[in-house]
Amino acid sequence: MTPPDVALAPPRPGPLPSLVKYARIFRVALIERMTYRSDFLLGTILRFLPIVTTVLLWRAIYEGSGQAELGGFNYREMIAYLLLTNISRMFSSMPGLAGGIAREVREGTLKRYLIQPLDLLGYLLSSRVAHKVAYITMSFLPYAGLFYLCRGYFDGFPDPLQMLAFVVSLVLAFVVGFYFEASVGMVGFWFLEVTSVLYIVMTLNFFISGHMLPLDLLPQPWSGLLKVLPFQYMAYFPAVVFQGKVRGTELLLHLALELFWAVAFAVLARTLYRAGLKRYSAFGG
Amino acid sequence: MPIIEVEGLTKTYRVFQKKEGLLGALRGLYRREYKEVKAVAGINFSIEPGEMVAFLGPNGAGKTTTLKMLSGLIYPTAGDATVLGHVPWRREDAYRRRFALVMGQKNQLWWDLPAGDSFQLHREIYSIPRDQFDRTLGELAELLGVEKLTRQAVRELSLGERMKMELIAALLHGPQVLLLDEPTIGLDVVAQAAIQKCLRDYHASRGVTMLLTSHYMRDVEALCDRVIVITHGTLVYDGPLAGIVERFGESKLVRLQFEGPAPERREMERYGEVSRLEGPFADVRIERSRIAGALADVLNRHALADVSVEDPPLEEVIAKVFEEARLAHDAA
Amino acid sequence: MVAGVARYARMMGGLARYTLAREMAFRGNFLVKVSVELLWMGILVAFYRVVFAKTSTIAGWSEPDYFFFVGCFFAINGLIETLFLENCNEFAELVRTGDLDFLLLKPIDEQFLISCRKIDWGTAPNLLMGAILMAVALVQKGWTFDPGRVAAFVVTFACGVAIAYSFMMMLTSVSVWMVRNQSLMEMWWLFSSLVRYPREIFSGRGAEMLGRFFTFVVPILLVSNVPADVMVRVLDPGMIAWTVAVAAASLWVSRRFFHVALRSYRSASS
Repeated sequence: MTPPDVALAPPRPGPLPSLVKYARIFRVALIERMTYRSDFLLGTILRFLPIVTTVLLWRAIYEGSGQAELGGFNYREMIAYLLLTNISRMFSSMPGLAGGIAREVREGTLKRYLIQPLDLLGYLLSSRVAHKVAYITMSFLPYAGLFYLCRGYFDGFPDPLQMLAFVVSLVLAFVVGFYFEASVGMVGFWFLEVTSVLYIVMTLNFFISGHMLPLDLLPQPWSGLLKVLPFQYMAYFPAVVFQGKVRGTELLLHLALELFWAVAFAVLARTLYRAGLKRYSAFGG
Repeated sequence: MPIIEVEGLTKTYRVFQKKEGLLGALRGLYRREYKEVKAVAGINFSIEPGEMVAFLGPNGAGKTTTLKMLSGLIYPTAGDATVLGHVPWRREDAYRRRFALVMGQKNQLWWDLPAGDSFQLHREIYSIPRDQFDRTLGELAELLGVEKLTRQAVRELSLGERMKMELIAALLHGPQVLLLDEPTIGLDVVAQAAIQKCLRDYHASRGVTMLLTSHYMRDVEALCDRVIVITHGTLVYDGPLAGIVERFGESKLVRLQFEGPAPERREMERYGEVSRLEGPFADVRIERSRIAGALADVLNRHALADVSVEDPPLEEVIAKVFEEARLAHDAA
Repeated sequence: MVAGVARYARMMGGLARYTLAREMAFRGNFLVKVSVELLWMGILVAFYRVVFAKTSTIAGWSEPDYFFFVGCFFAINGLIETLFLENCNEFAELVRTGDLDFLLLKPIDEQFLISCRKIDWGTAPNLLMGAILMAVALVQKGWTFDPGRVAAFVVTFACGVAIAYSFMMMLTSVSVWMVRNQSLMEMWWLFSSLVRYPREIFSGRGAEMLGRFFTFVVPILLVSNVPADVMVRVLDPGMIAWTVAVAAASLWVSRRFFHVALRSYRSASS
């Protein structure tokens, strides 16, 4: 805590001091998160409601159809899939990120990133990781309980290698989600009120990421098309990896593609940020 | 019959004690410790109709908290207050129609709309008759020199212009009591003077009662005859502005001009603290009780061309009052 | 009384005008918003078309009945979003920054000013979209006109809006105690997932209890179920009476709750 290495850091710090700086931001954000426990609790409880209603809805659908399999998923697999997409979304969803960036632009608080030796994207990334770590730690028990209760929908754990692929796909889902939303937020440099654009994207993403239903249920060509787009990596892909529906070379190929999209969105976000800043300073803030 | 009466008004906050570091934050999830903070600790005062009173105190003394209780924004922990015969925190419409609160650090006008639109909305909310509305708006806009700006989006106005608009918004419904929290904060001297003039004129024509907090003694000197000083939630002075200097200003500035060159510094320092010594001029700060003796002494020894005795600047006195209160508080 | 109502109606009109003026200053965004809602409706329809391609009923609801339900939910939710959601969503921020001060100073009902001060015109067309979906569903069903059902629908629809509003007000009030209540928008989205599906999906052990809980204890399930039910399925007078009673009670409770919450408002400085 005490060594003032941040204050003493040269104007253009090397990688290590800046890492220390972002680690500190991470800690502060984490501590801040923990203090809002009632917010946390209520939020966590509410987060389970859609899970319950979705499970019930799908049970009613399978009962109504009288069939064992829909789109290659039986009822158990379907529920398992929908539960797993919640894990995917836990990593890939970024509530408030794009809106926050837009607000900083609109209200001019963005200036502090221009004045302080602090990079907006780096700052947001480290505080977001903190949020996620806090959120995932806090929801670990409730989620473990939920999955335990729902263990009947699963056929045990996948093998270690598959598990590893699942974890990698989740981490990449976080990166894809973060830079994707950050890119959307950067649109705030051009549109004063970006919240609506954000809403379009979130709405569409809900469907095309496979959060609402497995993409395989859709008729062709839709299902094939959506599997080419990057959005499936934010919900569909990690879930089917866990379920062992993607294996071998196909799995490797998709992991590589996921990495590609992560990098692509990172580059996009940064490019938009630079262009936006230029525009921002031209306006005089 | 006083227009504002405050008795034993107290506000205590329960503040969550955040613990150091990550472990502390984790522990705080399960067990929390709170500390009671007395923002206002039982103050009493009353204000007569038409008075203009300055409410002074260092940051965190409880001025704003008191103003907010008087506006009915927050509930007191204990004590009573009546303003215009109403208990403020009941927030009756009849009360809210008759007073206004202006906060220099906040803005209530719609950011993206011209101020004129916000004024119209005010008219609806306060049910102000149209002719009265038009007349008041015209007068105030002229008084503040912002007639041409009411059609411009508020976000495009300068800080001073915005503050003038805020003031207009607060005065449109003709409040009988005006509470002002740092109305001139951050403004340049010209804008400050304009706001002061507007308030003075408004007071002269409407006889409004005003209670104002400010860190600018210029505001206080320009507007108020009476001063209430609070520190750490307790009232330490309530009386005329001049009285505060008499009571707390223990020394005066004595400016001497000698016939010849001023005497040596060592000699002058016997009387008090020397702040200037050049050519025939010497400025010395002398304790009040010793001024007469010191002057007699100087006249005995030297020939003087001119003498003046001045009160220390108000700012200095106030700073001293705050400092003493702080020391007393720390000691207790 | 009449004068009071007239005054609030006038004020509502004024607020509506100013928000429209503001919205028109950002016309592009307005259009985007409307298209988002169209998109969302499209997604809902697509989702249920996909599902109904594989089944003929969901929890006893046929395809046209179900689409009527979806339209009804869409209309109620649209109304809630138009009138209240944006305002309630901003409440936490008003508390955090202390800007709530100005709303409390006005000589006008606090709850009215806080929950109705801005109208979100972008979601207003939802009411129309929901109505169109309901109309299409009725035509597909071959529904015959029945004034009794329509009257019951209108009443329970209004009650549904009132109940949903009350729950939203309570969620909103909580942010006085939990400063920086992340986003009401998100909370509402999660909570209203209970309103999105027919009550009949709560079947089987456990779920049935939960269904009763959300019908009689925390009666949020009444919101879109009862109006849809009375229109296309059973017209149950008992349920209508219960819904009206719940609407009145929840309005009262939420108002009390809101006022209790306001007492804890601290009015942050600067």
